[in-house]
Amino acid sequence: MKRWWSCYGTATRFALIEQARNRLALTLLVFFIPLQLLVAYRVAVATQVPFYIGAASQSVNVDARSLAQITIALQTNALIVGFMMFTATARSAPFDRRLAQAGYPRLCLVLAKVTSLVLAAASVGVCTTAWMQLYWRPQQPVLLMASLSIGALVYGGIGIMLAAVLRSELAAMFLLIMTSIIDIGLQNPILNMAGAGRHLLSILPAYGPMQSAITTVGQRQVPWSYLALGFCWAAGTSAAGITTFVVRTRSRRTNTDIDPVGPAAVDEAVAVLANSTTMAQ
Amino acid sequence: MTQNGAVLCMRGVHKRYRRRQVLRGVTLDLSPGQLVGIVGENGAGKSTLLRILVGDLALDTGAVECHGVLGYCPQETVLHDAFTVEQHLRFFQVAYGVDSLHRAYELLEVLGCAEYRQARLGTLSGGTRQKLNLALALMHDPRVLLLDEPYQGFDWETYLRFWELAASLRNQGCAILVVSHLAYDTARLDTLYRLDSGTLTEAEDVAGDAANSGVKQ
Repeated sequence: MKRWWSCYGTATRFALIEQARNRLALTLLVFFIPLQLLVAYRVAVATQVPFYIGAASQSVNVDARSLAQITIALQTNALIVGFMMFTATARSAPFDRRLAQAGYPRLCLVLAKVTSLVLAAASVGVCTTAWMQLYWRPQQPVLLMASLSIGALVYGGIGIMLAAVLRSELAAMFLLIMTSIIDIGLQNPILNMAGAGRHLLSILPAYGPMQSAITTVGQRQVPWSYLALGFCWAAGTSAAGITTFVVRTRSRRTNTDIDPVGPAAVDEAVAVLANSTTMAQ
Repeated sequence: MTQNGAVLCMRGVHKRYRRRQVLRGVTLDLSPGQLVGIVGENGAGKSTLLRILVGDLALDTGAVECHGVLGYCPQETVLHDAFTVEQHLRFFQVAYGVDSLHRAYELLEVLGCAEYRQARLGTLSGGTRQKLNLALALMHDPRVLLLDEPYQGFDWETYLRFWELAASLRNQGCAILVVSHLAYDTARLDTLYRLDSGTLTEAEDVAGDAANSGVKQ
């Protein structure tokens, strides 16, 4: 058990170091998100638009500026976290395979990826919610933060899934953008006004996070089912990518008897060479 | 250990990539304290053979038996650009379950790259990356060592140090298999095999084989 925690701790620490070195994502988080929230709030007309809220089972008038901010934030967070997880998973795939081959527990590597995904999604969710507080007061800020985080989580899962089938970062980015345009673009108030097409919309990945996020604009219900829907999408897409990793890193070796203790050959050989090096100097 | 004393045993291994038959009944035994080389042209199937031995690739027919702690140095430097040399060593320390990095540090010293311990991989030269690639394969005291083009990118001094290290390990009872497309320094090997048309044949005269290959010794 101690070894398991050591493996998980090390893998998580390095997964977070890897994410922290993604300077483009950090720059977008620090500079781009506040800028786009400002622009969205200034550009949108200060009016009320009807939006179908599933938790209230009816169309509710929502402030257009808040709606614009939430829509844009969901899309940006999705792209940032989706691409972060794609690059982290794709770039480390051969290295992870070598680690697994060397005896690193695959479950620890997988859980470390999931932990870094959850932390990245939570970070963008917290930052975006904090910035939105400057413009309007959501009825349920924690719910807004959770919704935005889950939206990012869904696309982080899609990023992991794409890393299992794609190697090109350009292709992955293009697919993430196209998916988010269809997904979040279709949930605009025109299509979602009376909830007529909601059965079709409800199969989209960001439908749950969008519904629960908009609920925070003046509503008091906690839309558990929509939060759960977002979680299911995140779990499903992550599981697809992780399953591919597990399948690809399984050992094909047969008839193998790994001896847990080997000779001290390397130690002695290195000591001999180290001594000879010292003597030569 | 197998009945004939070998720690690594291959019997009649066949491997095919779609229509291309790469290995045709390869049989090989590797005993403790033996330093064996396999040479062959580019695309002859040497890396495929090693990947089957480490369990990275499934064989079509045949059998592979491996007894003891395995060390594997892949042909491509499988490292992570985001991490430092030290972080790589920490990662593999946990993977192998070794208590300290004492041996790893000594290996870096011997291979001449100890001063890069805090450097990120993205900033290192190809040769230095290869040194770390090799150190990661050796740092856990393996009993069976499989090396795929282990000295590519090495300077002459490091190349010589590599062979000294390999000889020392062999003398300590480690079974070593070195795969290369060039038959340099074949006199340092106990046995040399040639992989040609998917078949492994022993080169009877090691020195003569190198001469016939048109390469210097």
